[in-house]
Amino acid sequence: MMDSGLSGKVAIVTGGSRGIGRAIVELLADEGAAVTFFYRDNAQAAAGVVAAGAEGGRAIGAEQVDVCDAKACADAVERAAARTKRTDTRGTNAGAIRDNQLAALADDDIRAVLDTNIGGVFNMTRAVIPHMIVQRSGKIINLSSVSADKGGRGQTNYAASKGAINAFTRSLAVELAPRKITVNAVAPGVIETEMSQDVRDLAGEQVKSRILLRRYGKPEEVAYAVWFLASRYADYVTGQVVAVDGGFKME
Amino acid sequence: MAQNEISKEEILAVYPKVAETMADALGCDVEEVKLDVSLIEGLDAESIDFLDMVFRLERAFKIKIPRGKIVENARGDLPEAEFEQKGIVTEKGLAQLKSYLSEIPAERFKTPMKVADIPRLFTPETFCKLVIMAQRDAQVAQGT
Repeated sequence: MMDSGLSGKVAIVTGGSRGIGRAIVELLADEGAAVTFFYRDNAQAAAGVVAAGAEGGRAIGAEQVDVCDAKACADAVERAAARTKRTDTRGTNAGAIRDNQLAALADDDIRAVLDTNIGGVFNMTRAVIPHMIVQRSGKIINLSSVSADKGGRGQTNYAASKGAINAFTRSLAVELAPRKITVNAVAPGVIETEMSQDVRDLAGEQVKSRILLRRYGKPEEVAYAVWFLASRYADYVTGQVVAVDGGFKME
Repeated sequence: MAQNEISKEEILAVYPKVAETMADALGCDVEEVKLDVSLIEGLDAESIDFLDMVFRLERAFKIKIPRGKIVENARGDLPEAEFEQKGIVTEKGLAQLKSYLSEIPAERFKTPMKVADIPRLFTPETFCKLVIMAQRDAQVAQGT
């Protein structure tokens, strides 16, 4: 029997009410971690995740937090830490997408995507690392994207935010290595979620033709990679970006 | 007493708990955390250790220590432009720094002194003062 070492650990996941985030929340909770997830506006979906967790005997809590708000992140992390006395794993998954050709992007389309995707990573990570530094352990897992490395039309804002996450991940891994805190990222390809629905509707066949495995990924397939990086099996892995993309090819 | 003057009694009152907290952060024996030892040169503290010490002191004393607070305390009312120029502490700034870090022997202040090298001066006593100043700030904030 494998023991991931997650039982009794405390995890915070952002963007946990839907899609990949929800799959991560449920998998970590299945492994015995006490999970608090943050959601921005879909209270109904969040309540559904908490209720499903309670039915299955999993420890899942939810809190409404906008990751763009640094103070809200810090306060929410302090509340979560006060409840549980520690913070072992932090997955930043909250993400926004507003695709369009650069010339047609509104200021707000650029700002909203960068503020959520990379700003949220800064805000959340800065809030949790004091706890991890003091306890001399912790695993930080950021959600990147295949688009960080592989160009896609209409994705300058999204791709830039995800490329920033990869660079952030590598730099922070250096900073936190002396305290045995690992920092990694998972870079999903096209996953069957609400967020990727438009891309799949608009360019489904074209997108699939670029995936070696010829199908979209499932949220739980991304969650397994996050689970690995959060587990004790990944104690010797840091500063890495793990692709879960079915073999995505450059255009 | 001037706002940033701190008596030896006040320092000795917080020192045992500060020393214990710093020993935890540095992974050393509490006896090694002498009041006047240089944290970087004497106890091999690295930059992450300073963060660790601050986080632990915040918890142990239930205070908030904003990042960069030691230099800010030392600078007092002196405007930043008069304290340092292009990363080098000015003459005025150095006088201010020596006055705030009065526990540190004069020969340890090098000229020119880079702002980035100021932490090399820090000792456990510096952190005792930091804690006391933060406690005072908290009292002011509470209006007591």
